[in-house]
Amino acid sequence: MPLHPFDSHAGTGAGPASAAPAEAIARPQGDPANADSQGSHGALPAGAPRSAFGWFVRGMRHAVTVPALVLLASYLGYGALLQGVGFPPWAGALSTLLIWALPAQVILVGGLVSGVPLPALALAVGLSSIRFLPMTMSIAPYIRSHRGRLLVDLLCAHYVAMTMWLEGLRLLPPLPTEARVPFALGMGNFYIASAMLGTVLGYMLAAQVPPLLAAALLLMTPLSFTLMLVRNSRTPTDWLAFAAGFVLMPLTLGLGGGLDLMIAGIGGGTLAYVGGRIAERRRA
Amino acid sequence: MSGTLGLSEGAAILIVLLVGFLPTEIWRALAVVAGRRIPESSAVFHWVRAVATALLAAVVARLVVAPTGVLETVPLLVRVAAVAGGVAAFVASRQSIFIGVLAGELILVGAMLLGAG
Repeated sequence: MPLHPFDSHAGTGAGPASAAPAEAIARPQGDPANADSQGSHGALPAGAPRSAFGWFVRGMRHAVTVPALVLLASYLGYGALLQGVGFPPWAGALSTLLIWALPAQVILVGGLVSGVPLPALALAVGLSSIRFLPMTMSIAPYIRSHRGRLLVDLLCAHYVAMTMWLEGLRLLPPLPTEARVPFALGMGNFYIASAMLGTVLGYMLAAQVPPLLAAALLLMTPLSFTLMLVRNSRTPTDWLAFAAGFVLMPLTLGLGGGLDLMIAGIGGGTLAYVGGRIAERRRA
Repeated sequence: MSGTLGLSEGAAILIVLLVGFLPTEIWRALAVVAGRRIPESSAVFHWVRAVATALLAAVVARLVVAPTGVLETVPLLVRVAAVAGGVAAFVASRQSIFIGVLAGELILVGAMLLGAG
């Protein structure tokens, strides 16, 4: 049976772990896209895991928190959307596994419905996903195989999305180098499994969700990511970047086409970087 | 309710691969290749992290300010109040994401129920 997910938080020291109701997230019964996960309910060493597999399990257990529940809830909405427009369910679940970016997935399905030509749609999806370039680059040092195997690095990078980026930057740096890749894979597979479960459930439950609940589900993503951004902000640069993105976005809203995000991101990030350098120099 | 798309499972899978997976994964792969030469402590690395943080904040802000779906029917003031209240509860609860999300959701649902009643 499921292990209690919160008995291993001691030693992170970074504030109290957010307490998720453990029973709220059903541990997926199926194989979460990784054959290694079978038999993952074995005994865990009390201290640090000694094997890569031990770290994989540890990563999974750290993923059993509110962010995974939020993913599940967010993807319920996506599943309902798929059902509503008649997108085939297996292809829909596959889109969660392979694209692993909710905005891109929504653009894809929405574009198909409104009859956007496929090459143009690919371009729109690509534009919406440019953020993965800086996101993946900035987390890459923590999800890099220490033997420099490109395929492993590419696999790890696939899990990078908002949740993985935020939680990874918080949880991975304190870990021993050799533990990071298996830990990240454990986390990432659990997150994707939660999202796929959400997609399938949403597909099945669509049309039965009252509007108020649907609105509450849609609020989950911006609400939880705001909280995680606050939790992750430590340096002046972090806070400035957070504020700049928030403030610039409404100003660039009219531009559309993915350009608005790029301006808010690159412009805001650069301003924050310069501001952060000045603040640090003054303090020194 | 039958769909309007009329795609077969196979055609949809092909579209997911070529129009969804490829244009998204290319950025992650590029980042891996480019990132191999960037040391953790370099200025470029810090700048890239600032850009990524601002981008994510912008994505979140857009979801609040210009949402899609049913959330559009919720007044902007209520959406902003829900997020602000969530942050306040998060800080007050010594950084519990669960409490923060719960508080924000309660503000949204409460405001909508009061408004409707």
